[in-house]
Parts: sequence; C-alpha cells; structure tokens
Amino acid sequence: MILLRRRTELGLIVVGALITAGAYALAGLGRDAEIPANLVPFLGIVLGLLVTAHLAVRRLAPDADGILLPLAALLNGIGYVFIVRLDEAQADGGRLAGLQAMWTAVGIGAFIATLLFVRRSRSLERYRYTFAAIGLGLLLLPLLPVIGRTINGSRIWISIGPANFQPGEAAKIVLALFFAGYLVERRELLALSTFRLGPLHLPDPKHLGPILLAWGVSLGVMTLQKDLGSSLLFFVLFVVMLWVATGRVTYLTLGGTLFLAGATFAYTQFSHVQDRVAVWLDPWPVADDEGYQIVEASFALADGGIAGTGIALGTPTRIPEVETDFIFAAIGEELGLIGATAVLCAYLLMVGAGLRVALRAESAFDTLLASGLTTLLGVQTFIIIGGITRTLPLTGVTLPFVSYGGSSLVMNYVLLALLLRISDNSVAARAPARAGA
Amino acid sequence: MSNQIAKLGVGLLACFLVLFVQLNRVTVFGAQELKDNPVNNRSILRDFDAPRGTIVTADEVIVARSEPTPEGSRFEFARTYPEGDLFAHTVGYFSLNLGATGVEDSYNAELAGRTIDLSFRSLDDLFVDRDRVGDVRLTLRADVQRVAKDLLGERQGSVVALDPRSGELLAMWSWPSFDPNALATQDFSAANDAFALFQADERDPLLAKTYRERFFPGSTFKVVTAAAGLASGEITADQPVYPVAREYTPPQTNRPLRNFGGSSCGGDLFDILRVSCNTAFAQMAVDLGEDQMVGTAESFGFNAAPPIDLPAPAQSVFPTDFEQNLPALAQAGIGQNDVSATPLQMAMVAAAVANEGRIMTPRTVADIRDDDNSVVDEPEPTQWRRAVSAEHAAVLRQAMVEVAERGTARNLAIPGFEVGGKTGTAQLGTDPPRSHAWIIGFAGLPGQPPSVAVAVIVEGQPGASEQTGGQVAAPIAKAVMETVLAAQGGGA
Repeated sequence: MILLRRRTELGLIVVGALITAGAYALAGLGRDAEIPANLVPFLGIVLGLLVTAHLAVRRLAPDADGILLPLAALLNGIGYVFIVRLDEAQADGGRLAGLQAMWTAVGIGAFIATLLFVRRSRSLERYRYTFAAIGLGLLLLPLLPVIGRTINGSRIWISIGPANFQPGEAAKIVLALFFAGYLVERRELLALSTFRLGPLHLPDPKHLGPILLAWGVSLGVMTLQKDLGSSLLFFVLFVVMLWVATGRVTYLTLGGTLFLAGATFAYTQFSHVQDRVAVWLDPWPVADDEGYQIVEASFALADGGIAGTGIALGTPTRIPEVETDFIFAAIGEELGLIGATAVLCAYLLMVGAGLRVALRAESAFDTLLASGLTTLLGVQTFIIIGGITRTLPLTGVTLPFVSYGGSSLVMNYVLLALLLRISDNSVAARAPARAGA
Repeated sequence: MSNQIAKLGVGLLACFLVLFVQLNRVTVFGAQELKDNPVNNRSILRDFDAPRGTIVTADEVIVARSEPTPEGSRFEFARTYPEGDLFAHTVGYFSLNLGATGVEDSYNAELAGRTIDLSFRSLDDLFVDRDRVGDVRLTLRADVQRVAKDLLGERQGSVVALDPRSGELLAMWSWPSFDPNALATQDFSAANDAFALFQADERDPLLAKTYRERFFPGSTFKVVTAAAGLASGEITADQPVYPVAREYTPPQTNRPLRNFGGSSCGGDLFDILRVSCNTAFAQMAVDLGEDQMVGTAESFGFNAAPPIDLPAPAQSVFPTDFEQNLPALAQAGIGQNDVSATPLQMAMVAAAVANEGRIMTPRTVADIRDDDNSVVDEPEPTQWRRAVSAEHAAVLRQAMVEVAERGTARNLAIPGFEVGGKTGTAQLGTDPPRSHAWIIGFAGLPGQPPSVAVAVIVEGQPGASEQTGGQVAAPIAKAVMETVLAAQGGGA
C-alpha cells in the first residue's frame, strides 16, 4: 500500500510534467510557430525538480498522501508556462521567468527542508505561543521603517538587500500553527456555553479574547497595510478553525456578525474599500480607471470562450498584474472555460485531499492544522478567482502555486510539506496498530 | 471534528461551484455582450497588428494596403490609403484608437483572413509560417470616382453611380471628404487630433453623405409619384390630362401650391414630368391617396435601410402619418414636406426605372480573393425591391428619356446613347433663396437595358428655379455616365 502511494505519485508527476512540457511546446508554437528548441532540457529540469521532491517524500514521508504533490506540481508547471509566455510578450520582460524558475527550486528546497526538520507534526503543538509571536511579528515587519516597502498601495513587503519578501505569506501558515495549538488546548472550554448574549450562547467571555484578537489583527492588517485579501483570509481561517475545533455554530454566527461589522467599518472609513465595492458592482463607468483591470480581465475571459485562444495566441498582457494576481484571467483567455475549469478541479482535488488528511490525522492538533491549511489553500483560491470573475469584490491575493511570486510559492510548498507530514504520521501511527492486532 | 470537516468540504465545494457557474457566465453565456461592449477594442487590436488584405477598385487601383513597418516599430504593419480622400467614405479607415468604418469595418473578417473559407485554406499549411488574408475588390471605379470628384469640385454635394442591372456601385463621392491616412496613423495622439478637427468641421467631412445623410429630394421624387399613379391604374401614359394651371389648392386649405416662377403647366404624364409640373403632381398625389403613395414609396425602398454592404446606411423617409392631411400629402407628392432621401436612394429610383422596375441589392464589393488571387467569395446580384411592374417601368423610362431630350434635363443628353433623367430643386429658404440642385438619370445603348444610373446633389445652391438641377447637377451626372459608358466599352 505504501509503495502503491509512491508509485501513484511518481506516475502522476510524470503526467504533470508531460502536460507542462506540452503546454510549453504549445506556447512556443503560438508565439513563433516553432517548437521551443529547449523543450527537452526544459522537460528534463521539470522532471528533475519533481523527482527530487518525490524521492524526498519517499525517504522522509513514505506513507504520505500521493496526489497532493503531483497536483501542486501541475499547477506550478502551468503557472510557470504562463509566466514565461506573459513575460516574453512584454516590452520590459524576460526577467520574471528566470526568477520564477529559481523560486520553484527554492520552494522545492523548502518543501524538502520542512519534511526533514518536522519529523512529527504534533511536535509543533507545544510551540504555539512562539508561533503566535512569530506570526504577529511577521505581520508587523512591513510596517517597520527602512525595510518596509509599499508596492501598489499595499504595505506588505520587506526589502533586505536586493530581495523583496512578503512576510504575510509566511504569517498565514505560522498563524494556522498557532490557532491549531491554541484551539486544541482550549476547545473544551470554548465549546461550553455559560453566557448568553441575545440569541447567542457564548462561552465565558474571558475565552473569547482570542477571537476578538484575531478580529482586531485582521482589521489592523487591513487598516495599516491596505491588504484586504490577506485580512479576509486571516479572519476566515480563524473562524473556520474555531468552528471545526468546537463544533459550535455560534462561532460562525458571531464570526459573521463581526465580519459584517468590520466590513461596514472599513466601507465607511476607507475610500479604497468603497472603490473596490463600486468597481465590483459596476465597473463600466470607471472602465478606463479603477475598473480597468477587472474590465480587461472580463474581456480576456470572454475572448477565451469555451476552448480558449490557445497559449500565446491571446492578448492577456493588457491586464495589469497579469502574472501575479490576475494570472487566472490569462489562463481563462488562452485555455478557455475548459482549461480554467481544469485548474479549478485541480484545486478542488487538493482541497479534497487536504480534508482527507485532516479526517485521518492521528491527533486533534493534526486534524485542526490540516483543516486550517486546506482552508487557507481553498479560500485563497476562491478569493482571487472570485475577484477576477466578479463573483466577489476584488482583493489582491496570489493564486496558490500558479501566480508569479517567490514568497507565495515557497510558503505554499511549506504548506504542502506540512500536509504531507500529517498524512504520513497518521498512516505510520496506524500501521503498527494493525501489525499488533 | 469529522462532522465539521465534512461540512467544511461541502462549503468549499459550494464555493468552487459558484466560481464554475460564474466562469460559465463570463466565458460563454455573457461573452458576446462583453465582446460587443464599446469599451472592448480587443478584436480590433488583434487585427491591427496582423497582416491585412489589400483593397483595390474595379479598375485595379490600390486604395488600401498594409505595409510592413520599419524594424523596431510598435506594430508590425501600417495601413495606408494611397488615394487619400478619394474613397474615404466607402473604404473607410482602420484605426486602433478610432475603430474601423466603411469596407474596412464591414469586410473586416475577410480582410483579416478570419472567414471560414479563408481559415479552412490555412489549415492546409498549419505548420507553414504564412498568413492568409483576403483581398477585397471593389465594384467602384477610380476613374469614375475621380471624374465625380473633379466636377463637383469644392461644392458640398454627393455623386452616386451604379449599374442598375446588378446593383454594383460605380462611384460614391461626397465633398468634403477626409484623408483616412490621418486617422489610421500609428501616432495615436495625431490621429485623435485629426479626428477632433474633422469633427469640429460643421460640414461633417467624416460622414458618408452618399448613403448616410438625407436631403429633400424635391422634384426628383415626382418619378415615384408617377410610378404610384401608374401602379394604381388611375394614370396611364396619356390619361388623365391635367389642366394647365398656375396654382393648385389642395382640399382643407386656402394656401395654394404654385409652380416655379409662377409658370403654368399641365397635360398628360409625359408633359407634366417633362416640365416638372408641381400643380399636376400635387393633385395626383392627393387623388391617389395616402395608402397608394406610401405603398409605392416603400416599394422603391423608402422607410427601410438599404441592404448595402457598408455599415449603418440611413433610411430614406416618406411620411406614413398624414392622417388625411391632404395639403401635406400634396407637398409630399412633389418631394417636399417631410420626404427625405439619401443620394443612394435617389440613384436607386433611377435604377429601378432603368432595370424594368427591379431594385438590385446595392453593393460596393465585387469579390474576395486569397493571396493566390483566386476568388473565394463572389456575391451574386440579388433583387432587393420590386418597385414597379416592368410594363410601368417602360412607361416611366420613356417619360424620363423625354425629360432628357426635350425637358428640364436636356444637359444630361449624351449623343449616341439613350439617356433619361429628372431634375430637382429642393428649396431650403427664400431669404436669400437657396436650394439643393438634384438630378437623377440613367444611360445605355439605345434599345438595351441602361447600364448606368446616377444621382447627383449639389447642396445649398443660390437661387430656386426649376432650372437649377439641370444647370448645376446635370453636367456632373453626364460626365460620370460618359466615363462609365466608355469604361464599359459602349454599354456592354
């Protein structure tokens, strides 16, 4: 069974690499009617990176789930092909593709390192307050003078030497670790209702501190860094984990109420929030201005239709930030509804696999952590694709594994490694039990 | 916790289903609306940076072509119009920031090589780096167009010439025109400046007045009134004989309607058309009644957009709401009141008479060819309207020939050819007297179907006599028809 999982993984990785190489060849055909001369080396490097990751899993987490890594590899591969294609089409391009390749390698390195250093996921439980401190620290870093940077209106970057980094990407995972540890400790207390507030049955108010703190942190991130997407993500993460830990719907109600209060506050206080909502409801009057990005993304998707224009045959470079937040619009334009749906399905399968890992986890901490990490992945995907398709107001976050961006890619590989570690531990924990029976 | 995890899974699945539904809405069901959005210039941008077919006239003059730009330009191809303003209103322009007009717009798919015919050919050489575009051959002739331009000179007006047998347009000229090169330039701010300058000109040089602007047709409309009389059966070539009169007072009013210059006229159909007798035609319209007049006007193409292969043709108008207002009907019978017509429409009136009562679908494009110069698409002549019966058309043809031989359109006559015509003077005001000078006509070898029909309007001429059309507009129409007849090799 163990070998079967690894063999499945290897087989799927090869399929993913072939799909990536096929897309790369099509991009070359679309661009200048030639199959790229470096197709074979390209396939070799892709396979080399992925097989390295696979061998690491074989060695370090032999019992882990077998489809998460291939799905991530496929998304990473498709994203990379699109970044190459978009980069080449731009006047000042030619830089991002190499960087993304490097970040992919760094990401796989981080993936292996995580598996190497975290041999037992439960061992992370006891560092929960350390994680809390690190998480808050990471969130606050961009606000510091000297190293903090404001890019495109959001103060979520730090610069150290030549490298820019978004510490918020790491903070998401670190805070998920903290929430899991904290909630495992307190979930019984939090599940008791000793206090009534109107229709709500609440636990002792003193246990409510953390949810209010999370809410405050989310609001703070939104106010100080103008990063609506991450703010929403933190809050959803915490409320969902609280609910999963306690099973009390009251927390969802309370969370929803606090969310509405926060959203109302933000809407009335910040003009950029009002702009986002106005553009979402009706982008046409400002199509040359604030609405330009979303309008161009809609036009791109409409141009794609069912089957898409073909890779490198569309004009997605008209969309600002197309390599990062808006890369899904480029995929929709050039691969059409079919390709975009395939990408959606890949995320859905990852979410399904992640929740299966959560269900089978050996401890409550592992279950909560896996649920939280899966929620991060699924909700982040929903937020950005929902923004691009005008399902939600647009809040800029990256599309996991696909968008250009080092911080996001590396931290998503860390997230993936943690899920695989939990999965591996759960199987390993059961195997001796079976052997003993 | 497994209960919550199952619910979380359902919740996330629901989120993704919402995304899938919305994705369908944007990429498929709502896609056409997004593509048609005026803000969306993606399709034109796509075509702008691609090779594009050449547009040539029927006499092989290149009027639009794409040339490769110098190395390092922002776009690979530049669209140029070697004949400048000569075909600006029909060929139009193809501009990234200003859009496309004319043939450049209506035949965009062919010029860009995106029609099914052209793309199926390109499947053969899928792996050959070669572009397939369609070349468009116009029915318009540069020689005829130049004659129209030279003779109209710097007077506001329009000239339309077509082959009544096929509906093929031979010339469509309006002054003032514009240079499409100024709008198709890749210097977008210069293009915007030029566009603003043209727009600020109150004479509206950007508007293709030949088929997109309406004018009072004046007496040229009497041909339609005569056709209505023949169609009703109440009028024949020699019956009734209208009394010679100086003025006619329609029912319901005391205000009489007078002939030009206070003259007297009357007689049978041939007589009254020859001298363009207002009193007789006004009385004829009242006698025929609203239904007959509207019916015949509409069978000539009024109140409908002609199915020409150019964007946004204007409808010519014959009012349908007289509601027993007989004075208004009397005025409409002589092309006044609210009657208005495009020069194209009036050319089609002459063409209907010339072509046994049939109006062919007007078109400007003869065929589409691929880059091997083989024809991929060639529209067949089709009938648009049956204006009058062949029998009545023969009577009208004879009547119009008499107008050109002995009536107000004598300046139209071409020795050796059968020529028919009708003048018109549409009064614009009396202080000072100004009017549009009109002429419509046809010509061909004697005894054969006429091979050219024309309409000429010279706008806002001083004076208001029935002679104006014959003096001002007829020489232009005559020269245009002569050029066509010469090109046709004696009417073939």
